[in-house]
Amino acid sequence: MTARSSLLKTASLAALVTGALAGTALAADTVKLGYQLPLTGETAQYGQDFRKAAEIALTEFNAAGKPFKAEIVFEDSRSDAKEGTNIARKFVDDKEIVGVLGDFTSGVSMAAAQVYKEAGLPQLSQTASHPDYTKISKYQFRNIATQAQEGPYNAKWMLSKGYKNIAVIAEQTDWGQSVVSGFTEGVKANGGTVVFSEFFNRGLKDYRSLISKLERAKPDAIYTGFFYEDGAQFLRQVQQLGIKTPVYSTSAAYSPKLIELAGDAAEGVHLTSNFLPTDPAPHIQHFVTEWKAASNGAVPGQFPAQAYDAVRIMLAAVEKAYPNPTREKVRDALAQTKDFPGVTGKTSFSADREAEKELVKVEVKGGAFVPVAD
Amino acid sequence: MNVSDLSAPPRGQGVLIPLLLALLVFVGLPALLAGFDRGYFYQIANLALIFVLLSASMHLVTGVAGLLHLGHAAFYGVGAYTAALLSTKFGLGFTATLPLSGLVAALIAFLVALPTMRLVSIYFAVATLAIGQMLYLVMLNWVELTKGPNGIIVTKGLELFGFSLSGRLATYYTVAAVVTLCVLAIGRLSHSYYGNALRSIREDDQCADAMGVSTARLKMEAFTLSAFFAGVAGSLWAHMTGYISPGDFKFSESILILAMVVVGGLGSLPGAVIGALLLILLPEGLRAFGDFRNIMVGLVMFLSILLLPKGLLGEVSALQLARRQLGAAWRNTVKGEGIGWR
Repeated sequence: MTARSSLLKTASLAALVTGALAGTALAADTVKLGYQLPLTGETAQYGQDFRKAAEIALTEFNAAGKPFKAEIVFEDSRSDAKEGTNIARKFVDDKEIVGVLGDFTSGVSMAAAQVYKEAGLPQLSQTASHPDYTKISKYQFRNIATQAQEGPYNAKWMLSKGYKNIAVIAEQTDWGQSVVSGFTEGVKANGGTVVFSEFFNRGLKDYRSLISKLERAKPDAIYTGFFYEDGAQFLRQVQQLGIKTPVYSTSAAYSPKLIELAGDAAEGVHLTSNFLPTDPAPHIQHFVTEWKAASNGAVPGQFPAQAYDAVRIMLAAVEKAYPNPTREKVRDALAQTKDFPGVTGKTSFSADREAEKELVKVEVKGGAFVPVAD
Repeated sequence: MNVSDLSAPPRGQGVLIPLLLALLVFVGLPALLAGFDRGYFYQIANLALIFVLLSASMHLVTGVAGLLHLGHAAFYGVGAYTAALLSTKFGLGFTATLPLSGLVAALIAFLVALPTMRLVSIYFAVATLAIGQMLYLVMLNWVELTKGPNGIIVTKGLELFGFSLSGRLATYYTVAAVVTLCVLAIGRLSHSYYGNALRSIREDDQCADAMGVSTARLKMEAFTLSAFFAGVAGSLWAHMTGYISPGDFKFSESILILAMVVVGGLGSLPGAVIGALLLILLPEGLRAFGDFRNIMVGLVMFLSILLLPKGLLGEVSALQLARRQLGAAWRNTVKGEGIGWR
């Protein structure tokens, strides 16, 4: 045997031994979670926010003197189903990972869910809103109010304000579809009429034709399903066309960036939210302060708050399953989550693994989101 | 290069190299995969194989016939949706959906090709771009048929005449067998007199026309054939992943497949295969580099175009082809005047 090959052998042996040691050390007091999210690509802005929120939650957890430390493996899915599935397989292969968070879009979450379903690894998405997502298997959870819940709530709110004829527009995504169906059902059940409903493709630049078409139906109010980028664009063009019809929206548009981008065109927009950064409750103020410190003083929106809570719900489930948390035990613990005191309100999982959230009514007044009674 | 050289199999391709490749794909790799027994490696191997097929099918149009195709992913999508719909609405299994996906994709390609195939150069490229977008928007907005952005959950896994092939190794073998057969067929097509006729379109379509080659018909055939193979790839993807949505087949996927063909080398089938392997394996291999991995992949592509204008194994330079596509105004040295735009 040459000197070189024996050296190689010793080195690899040493690597093996340290690896094994590290492995046992990890198993003893570190629990691993996976987080798949778009850190690059078209939706990177959301993924980056989620990572920031998750890191805040993780640092807090590890500083709180719990019996074990937690570790999160972040993997970039680029909001691409191919990559999402690859990551899912990777997480499943890593036997130390007992729970997974993500993905951002429903499409990628659902493609990955097929893998988690087969492997029995619990998956908690902070945003996947596709109606069928939680129906895939008992391992899929979400920390977001679905439109089946939010739609009727908003419908009642608008009808109580005397708006009987309502126009609905939403982005052409699975989520947008659920916005329209959830809301329309709510309106019909409570005696109103949806006079117009149409979808637009995400990233549309010119809403003027849609707006004038919509106005021809003479609605008392407009209900919209969009995220802040499209929302800001839409609101500015509504203002430019001099239309005064009141605009209502969902919690998905609840982001300081909406006001930042739309300026005074956002004034008077009504929407629901389950996160209010102005809420004086100490745990909410704590998160807002941490977030501001990590992002040059910017105020967190709804999505980072949901991600923050999702990570904390997952960690709480792991803690409940500790010692010896297994994927199955973590799943069961997740399913038992009840009245979790998050920054997005108290969260419980229903029997079909849907998050039940309290919603807050908000109006944009003087360039800020202000909670309103009705 | 003498065009008739191109129809001959590339040098060294006696019996030995195909045999070694077959051994690698059907014995070596599966042994390795089974040895590691990691679902992640199986997944990447299958995904890479599917993109090998997509890249090889685009090679037929873009590499051999020299036509810039910007809508290939849409036919991949048509195949995937055909498989998903046939399987969820009519309960058909993979055995039936595999050929049907290819046929439906080919049929749609044939229909959209009818009015567009007389177009040349950049106009052809724009037409394929439009076709791709059109099909993508149909998948996205025809909610009654495709469930639109909600996508479709495909519950039936891979099977052959009723035998389930959904185990890890069985899935790999199925995907590998289908892809190998298709790539062999594409290889035979591109290294034949037929392939040479297609090459004549790439080299000079007017000249080919004047020599009696029916360029419009050949283009249509190449386009339809390539869509058939893309459809087959779509069926593999639909049954393998279990969930498809229009986002899987958008424009950026067409560009990804085009990049595979270009990086591997236009006109070379082994090049198209290597390009696909490179662009699927590299981003996965570079995961450890976090947010920088996309930059690194971009750098590899940039350097490969800069240093290897013909790609890894190409017959023609991508830049040459692009110049010809983008304007007849480009000219090489004529009578002492330099190259440039007229």
